[in-house]
Amino acid sequence: MSREISTCPLRLRHYPGHLEPEYAYTLGIAGERFFREIKENARIMGAKCKKCGKIYVPPKLYCEECFEKLEEWVDVGTKGTVYTFTISFLDEHGEKLEKPEIYALIKFKGTYGGIVHRLGEVKPENVRIGMKVQAVFKPLTERKGTINDIAYFKPIME
Amino acid sequence: MEMFGKRRVAVIGAGMTLFRRNLKETGKELCWEAAKMALDQAGLELKDIEAVVMGTAPDAFDGVHMKGEYLADGAGARKKPYMRVFVGGGTGVFTPIAGWWHVASGMFDTCLVVAEEKMSSCFPHPAYAFHTIFDPIMARPLGVTLIWIFALEMHRYMHVHGIKKEQIARVAVKNKQNALDHPCAQLPQKITVEDVLNSEVLCWPVQRLDISPTSDGAAVAVLAAEHVAKQLTDNPVWIDGVGWCIDSTYWTNRDLYYPKYVECAARMAYKMAGIKNPPKEIDVAEVYDPFDYKELHHMEGLMLCRKGEAPRLTEEGVTQRDGDLPINPSGGLLGVGNPIAAAGMMKVCEIFWQLRGEAGKRQVKKDARTGLAQAWGDLMQYGSVIIMRS
Repeated sequence: MSREISTCPLRLRHYPGHLEPEYAYTLGIAGERFFREIKENARIMGAKCKKCGKIYVPPKLYCEECFEKLEEWVDVGTKGTVYTFTISFLDEHGEKLEKPEIYALIKFKGTYGGIVHRLGEVKPENVRIGMKVQAVFKPLTERKGTINDIAYFKPIME
Repeated sequence: MEMFGKRRVAVIGAGMTLFRRNLKETGKELCWEAAKMALDQAGLELKDIEAVVMGTAPDAFDGVHMKGEYLADGAGARKKPYMRVFVGGGTGVFTPIAGWWHVASGMFDTCLVVAEEKMSSCFPHPAYAFHTIFDPIMARPLGVTLIWIFALEMHRYMHVHGIKKEQIARVAVKNKQNALDHPCAQLPQKITVEDVLNSEVLCWPVQRLDISPTSDGAAVAVLAAEHVAKQLTDNPVWIDGVGWCIDSTYWTNRDLYYPKYVECAARMAYKMAGIKNPPKEIDVAEVYDPFDYKELHHMEGLMLCRKGEAPRLTEEGVTQRDGDLPINPSGGLLGVGNPIAAAGMMKVCEIFWQLRGEAGKRQVKKDARTGLAQAWGDLMQYGSVIIMRS
């Protein structure tokens, strides 16, 4: 998907003539490690603040409350809970989607924050707040170190 | 209240343009039209204005990078001290707050506060102009849209308090009805709860009639120090409290069902204005309503009622113009329109007109002496609050 190109500076090229500007966003210090774990080990990590004990998911370099550097990394597993969700009928241009997408905020037990992602293998009418879900990773060879290395989250029995 | 600011600041004039999609006027022309109207009401000319504050939201809407500079002449800022403020959707109420400190600090005796947005420049739909506001790593690759992040928040609010869509739809019905009496309104309509529930589903639970429109427009106020205001008018409206606050950049780190940052901003403004019991002491409020659920969410954050209580007050008619706590008598963003920064400023103008008894058919039934305007912005995390008294 073209909108992922901009996170990879190696793929940027110089062309003569008229070209729209592109941006290369770095993943950041914490982000690089987070996405390497997803890409190489299919693991979702959090970062723990030694002062207040909060475990940030996704991990951050610093605690936004204590302002301490976060140095302890913990594996938070691949299972979480749907905190809230929406069924989207529109794409980011405001155009109608062919098939509605389900997006949810997924929280991981004992952690702070959460991950927003698609839900799959479930019909919109069967999704509930509080439902347990698990990350479904793309095959190793297709993973590129982006949030879409997780294909979607699917419902699981407790 | 000496501990806050040096001098008392009054609003002495207000003006606004029509709110419409695809207005012919440029952004500069919109600023000029509203500013001229506000100056006329204040009985001042541009030469009497000592400083100008501009509020306008993302550059991507108008499609002119450095929009503050671009709009300066229309805002009357040529050869004057000038600054632009920008806190997303919270800009409209934050702009007069910035104007307030220009005057309260003693630096200027008069300040023109201008808010503008021209959202229809962006094709095919300004929805995409929002795309670059999202986190490029975690959110954009998923195809995030502005509507679905609000849908996630709305759904959480409904879930925590057991609120039904029918209850939320009443806000859209009320505000669009109120807008029938506003000469600048874009979407004045007589609709029913069923109309809202039967409208197109965009991102469940958000439907077409739950949302404010895309708009162009400008709104302006003239601020003056006490000694100047008293020379010019017998009816100054005083800015007695201001507050603002931002919450975590990560909306995944917020409660979603309750806007704590609005509460923090409100507490700051109430303390400054000496308000101890907001529901009893606030006579009329313009709270930010880009979506119908946000009016309820914000009433709770402003402590105008208890958490989860706003839907019931709405059902009981308490928030109607003739109710005990009129909310959005203007018609709000849902009815008057939502040119982002100008929409928040329109709310400040409405409170000014309400407290002066100049709101015409929109005038609330009770004798309104103290009013509140609030806006909310950035990524669902910013609150700005202003308290005004006649």
